Amino acid sequence: MISRRFWRLEMITALIMASILGYSFLISKPRVDFSTEVKPLLNRKCLSCHGGVRQRSGYSLLFREEALGKGESGRPAIVPGDPEGSELIRRLTASDPEERMPYHESPLAKEEVELLRRWVEEGASWGDNWSYTPIREIPPPTIRGWLWGLIPSVHSRWILNDVDRFVAAKQIEHGLEPSPEADKTALVRRLSLDLTGLPSSPALLQSFLQDNSPQAYERLVDRLMASPAFGERWTAMWLDIARYADTKGYERDDTRNIWRYRDWLIKAFNRDMPYDSFLVAQIAGDMLPKATDEQFIATAFHRNTMANDEGGTDNEEFRTAAVIDRVNTTWEGILGTTFACVQCHSHPYDPFRHQEYYQFMAFLNDTRDEDSYAEYPLLHEYKDVDSVRFQTLKRWLATQTSSEEAARVVQFLRTRQPAINSLRADAFVNSELSDSKWLVMRRESSSRLARVDLTGRSKLLIRYETKRDDGTLTFRIDSLQGPAIARVSLPETSQGFQHHEVSLSQTNGVHDVYIQYQSPSLTNPNENGIRFDWFHFYPGFPGKAQPGFDTAWATYWNLLNSRTVEQTPVMIQNPAEMHRPTHVFVKGSWLVPGEQVTADVPASLPPLPKGAPKDRFGLALWLTDPQNPLTARTYVNRIWEQLFGVGLSETLEDLGTQGAPPTHPELLDYLSWHFMHRDGWSLKKLLRRIVLSATYRQDARVPEEALQKDPANRWLARGARVRLTAEQVRDQALAISGLLSTKMYGKSVMPYQPEGIWLSPYNGRSWLKSAGEDQHRRAIYTFWKRTGPYPSAIAFDGTAREVCLSRRIRTNTPLQALTTLNDPVYLEAARHLIYRCQSQTGKRPDKVIETTYRAATGYGLTEQRRKALDRLFRSALAQFQQHPEKACGMIGLQDEHNEPVTAALVVVGNAILNLDEVLNKN
Amino acid sequence: MHSEKRLQREALLRSSEWTTRRHFLKECRAGLGMMGLGSLLGSCDWLGSKANPSAGMATFDPVNPMAPRIPHFTPKAKSVIYLHMAGAPSQLELFDYKPELQKLDGQECPESFLQGKKFAFIRGVPKLLGTQASFRQHGESGLWISDLLPHFQTISDEVTVVKTVMTDQFNHGPAQLLMHCGSPRLGRPSMGSWVTYGLGSENGNLPGFIVLTSGGKNPDAGKSVWGSGFLPSVYQGVHCRSEGEPVLFLQDPEGMDRSLRKASIDAINEVNRVTYEEMGDPETLSRISQYEMAFKMQIAVPEVMNIHDEPAYIHELYGADPSVSSLANNILLSRKLVEKGVRFVQIYDWGWDTHGTGPDGALDIGLVNKCRKVDRAMTALILDLKQRGLLDDTLVVWGGEFGRTPMQENREGKQNPFRGRDHHSDAFCMWMAGGGIKKGFSYGQTDEIGYHAVEGKVSVYDIQATILNQLGFDHEKLTYEFQGRPFRLTDVHGTVIRDILA
Repeated sequence: MISRRFWRLEMITALIMASILGYSFLISKPRVDFSTEVKPLLNRKCLSCHGGVRQRSGYSLLFREEALGKGESGRPAIVPGDPEGSELIRRLTASDPEERMPYHESPLAKEEVELLRRWVEEGASWGDNWSYTPIREIPPPTIRGWLWGLIPSVHSRWILNDVDRFVAAKQIEHGLEPSPEADKTALVRRLSLDLTGLPSSPALLQSFLQDNSPQAYERLVDRLMASPAFGERWTAMWLDIARYADTKGYERDDTRNIWRYRDWLIKAFNRDMPYDSFLVAQIAGDMLPKATDEQFIATAFHRNTMANDEGGTDNEEFRTAAVIDRVNTTWEGILGTTFACVQCHSHPYDPFRHQEYYQFMAFLNDTRDEDSYAEYPLLHEYKDVDSVRFQTLKRWLATQTSSEEAARVVQFLRTRQPAINSLRADAFVNSELSDSKWLVMRRESSSRLARVDLTGRSKLLIRYETKRDDGTLTFRIDSLQGPAIARVSLPETSQGFQHHEVSLSQTNGVHDVYIQYQSPSLTNPNENGIRFDWFHFYPGFPGKAQPGFDTAWATYWNLLNSRTVEQTPVMIQNPAEMHRPTHVFVKGSWLVPGEQVTADVPASLPPLPKGAPKDRFGLALWLTDPQNPLTARTYVNRIWEQLFGVGLSETLEDLGTQGAPPTHPELLDYLSWHFMHRDGWSLKKLLRRIVLSATYRQDARVPEEALQKDPANRWLARGARVRLTAEQVRDQALAISGLLSTKMYGKSVMPYQPEGIWLSPYNGRSWLKSAGEDQHRRAIYTFWKRTGPYPSAIAFDGTAREVCLSRRIRTNTPLQALTTLNDPVYLEAARHLIYRCQSQTGKRPDKVIETTYRAATGYGLTEQRRKALDRLFRSALAQFQQHPEKACGMIGLQDEHNEPVTAALVVVGNAILNLDEVLNKN
Repeated sequence: MHSEKRLQREALLRSSEWTTRRHFLKECRAGLGMMGLGSLLGSCDWLGSKANPSAGMATFDPVNPMAPRIPHFTPKAKSVIYLHMAGAPSQLELFDYKPELQKLDGQECPESFLQGKKFAFIRGVPKLLGTQASFRQHGESGLWISDLLPHFQTISDEVTVVKTVMTDQFNHGPAQLLMHCGSPRLGRPSMGSWVTYGLGSENGNLPGFIVLTSGGKNPDAGKSVWGSGFLPSVYQGVHCRSEGEPVLFLQDPEGMDRSLRKASIDAINEVNRVTYEEMGDPETLSRISQYEMAFKMQIAVPEVMNIHDEPAYIHELYGADPSVSSLANNILLSRKLVEKGVRFVQIYDWGWDTHGTGPDGALDIGLVNKCRKVDRAMTALILDLKQRGLLDDTLVVWGGEFGRTPMQENREGKQNPFRGRDHHSDAFCMWMAGGGIKKGFSYGQTDEIGYHAVEGKVSVYDIQATILNQLGFDHEKLTYEFQGRPFRLTDVHGTVIRDILA
């Protein structure tokens, strides 16, 4: 043993000597690193004039080939290996102020010039920002302790898993020591809030306090992850990314029925759907073979874009805005990159070119949605007897028609696609788009549907509305004088839009279809006769000669007209004949289309995986390809932020060169690599790695010294102390008072809200208070109106969800205090909290206060706290005894609780719900 | 001179409030939290790394984001009252007198005006519609002002009317967003947010940016027009409601009087101080002062929002009636608010959308009524500010989101039942007064029927740049880093309208 130790000592001594010698004698200065040394300098000093936006004197430093080129001066700016021959270096030190760069600004420091000189000398190599480099498997650093590991150090003793090794290395570097593990009560509450968004139940706390086995903590983690509340908590996070709302936004801000997507998220998180599948479903679920309803609903992710119903708006303009939002959301939410700047010009700092924005947009642009009022395309889910009918019909189709025909009918019944929305009509004669939403026609009118493929289409299904019983339609091709392919009299409709099927004479090829309308009973030339919703040209319902056709046809027609169907906006790809080309928008303006582009990913990132199609599905594969350097990093960084309050890179929305570099880049890569390659993109496994670490379990107390050395806790030498989110503040109050409903899923609900929050013009909707337990559902089920979001959610930094929001900036304002002090929701919670504690502990006020405090924090009262709360109780009691009518006000009802002691306790309960330790995760 | 004094005072305030974080913490512990509206602890890095140094502004204390700050140069105006008539008032009935249009009344609109144009509702060939009001010249300036605004006519020598404002949006929601947030889409901070971000607040007991609405509805673009967009939420406008509580949840619960609320906040803060002793988290101290602030706001806001105690002659002057909520009350309130040091008061009055589809939207009925409601009050505002010596450093701005067509609207090709005009984005009128703006001045010329601006075209961004300029900002330098680039109110546009500056 001894000799072995000595051997080790000798070896190490030799190694140290060698490295010191090597460092001072053998190795000169290390090579200049482009990403960490040169690029930040260029960004700071040069790129505002010589970057993506401005290229003064025709020179840009954004891409290497540009930087090596010649500006207007004609001299090469950078000659790799030859600083003296490089115009760039000369200009930095030129004596003529008209020549010296940065132009008319203070010159670069000597060291900065020297750095650039050396960089050019070494070949002016270009490098990538950390986030664009491949994610590698990084071995955790060894934290040995003293005397080559013989004596354990504070850090080596502290370590529980690999996460801690990375963290300890940085703590050592910054002269910090880790904090001890938080007490069990704090751990349960922290874990419970982090994993389920709710405080722990008293029962869970008790069982953990009593469980002294080494596996107790791990068991607690597993129990919390298995709770259905887990999915609700992580859905709350994703809804900000997905900019989920229950209304469409803009002026009318009418209701949107998209809650099925929220429910899909909850289920996906609870099932621990791997993050790659989770993304594929949301980006391109509709394009998966035999896509299920669930997979369609997942694509509602990108149907959460705003839609404008204001009269007179251009549908194309707002569709374009929605597609641009999809591009920006994909980049910001999934790839942690600010791509939005590239909409107007090449990225000023990051390696993305203007054209690449539109190439990327082409992935997301070829979908059926057109800013229509009904938000087509919609997934139709049949309910009750209709769902049985649909199954029966599917069976008949499978046996009696070709698989292609069957698929077409099923797709149409599920999505009503492909249909031509009437808002695509043009060439109006005495007809127009009513309220810019639907084609309306008047007496002797005509209009046109441009470029319709009629090959093999023998039927036309029309969805329309008319109050006339003598209207006739003639469909002609190529011109108003062209051959008629159908003539039809349309019956009067009774309740809104109805369907009618028209036979078409056989026509081949693509034609403009002209619609002529006539109704003799229309005497006023200005009066509308008919309104169209959409047109569906198709080969007709199949299997005419087969047995059971009549029943099948009747079922088909019934399903088409079903009024109980659940409809959710989803993504559906355009069929080839409706393909939508994508153009570059010159300077970002959709009105100035430039060159046409095809779908592709930016050249500075890995290409599409081999064999991936150049469409939305291929995009989904690219996003989830382990070669993609951004997807896993962005997600892991976000999950870290959810637990610690700050990401490893603080700027979740921007991991590019302008974002904050990560404090622990190796840890971020370690976690990202394991997330993909070891844990199969499992969120629960990722969370386990993090919450089982000693880093996570640290006490959140801030030692005076640590506050000096690391005020923002970036080096993680203490536990995170973070204010609860808007959702958690509400859910917690309801949970500890016993009011919280555990009901999951379903349409969004409307709990109490003050009068006058909803005042959208031209929108008859109003806030109708939900009944029963729907008053007390978790916050993610609260109806989210974009122009009038739920007030307490906004007070606590929720947003209107107009666009993707990567992170909420936490504020601390008096409006928050007013909310939790005075919002009737929190007063109601205080009352029920007190009643509950009274029923548990009897009427002795001091006991009730103790129990209430314990219910809220898990701890017993310290002496000072007891005194403060007791003083409050006594002054409240004195008041209420003197003025019993005030007690009644506090209780709110003339019931058995209406007496001064209980009322005074409610005042204390209200105070407890406002304590810093209750509003924070400790 | 006035503004110089104020500037000095601000500098003094700043230096006295320039305390290190440590010092501030001590003060809090002593229960003396001299706090602004909110604190942004935990986002120190956000300010340190992201605040644009080129903005040339004093780095402000993240603990106190509402601390008064010094702008880029000596400001002419200290605060802004912005009266927005949502729905877009007709310039042709109010400020842009067009006798030629009168002569062409009833004639078909020339084809040349319609080519390549898109309207919200007009279809086919509409008819020209002569002005529905009589006009006269007033004051030494000889400004043409409609008889629909008889009170305003008397102060023509106090204001500058800009006749040639242009926008590129012809729908309410997007146009209001463009006007107030510099972009027709949602997600950008509003002007008031930019201003409070740049200047902070002078009154620690009141929000720096207050919004008042009337007309029964919120503006079409909703709360986004006073949202903080990507700026921290402390800078969003606080919507003071004219009915019920002026600020949500301001009122203590029933049965809890002020002394009990005081006792309750004292208890909360006492326990929080214990928590601070135990945990050492500075954010706890910030929460303590926020609760103190909340308590102060509960008194200060209802007090300032109460117009009952204004003397009868002031009620008379504005046409205000405290018993019902009204635009006039809000305008009177706006004076009280700037008097108390509120930076930016944004007033929205809904119901100016005169299409002629019903009597409320008729130029000869609805518009007349709306004018009656605003005329006396906005005139009173100028006179009242002036008599209090506040007009010089209060910039008053009045306008809509666009103008209205010289043609009568024919919705879906049919003549509307009442006289009305469609949305028009190519030329409309706004007026400004006080805050270093010329007195009795008319800027810009439209063509003979008020369709196009022919001289002195002004964009929405120019209006924004001018307002910021009067507050002491270079609009190109008041920026905030977001999504990888510095954003500003005026996007990449905007020129200060120097010609209207006094």
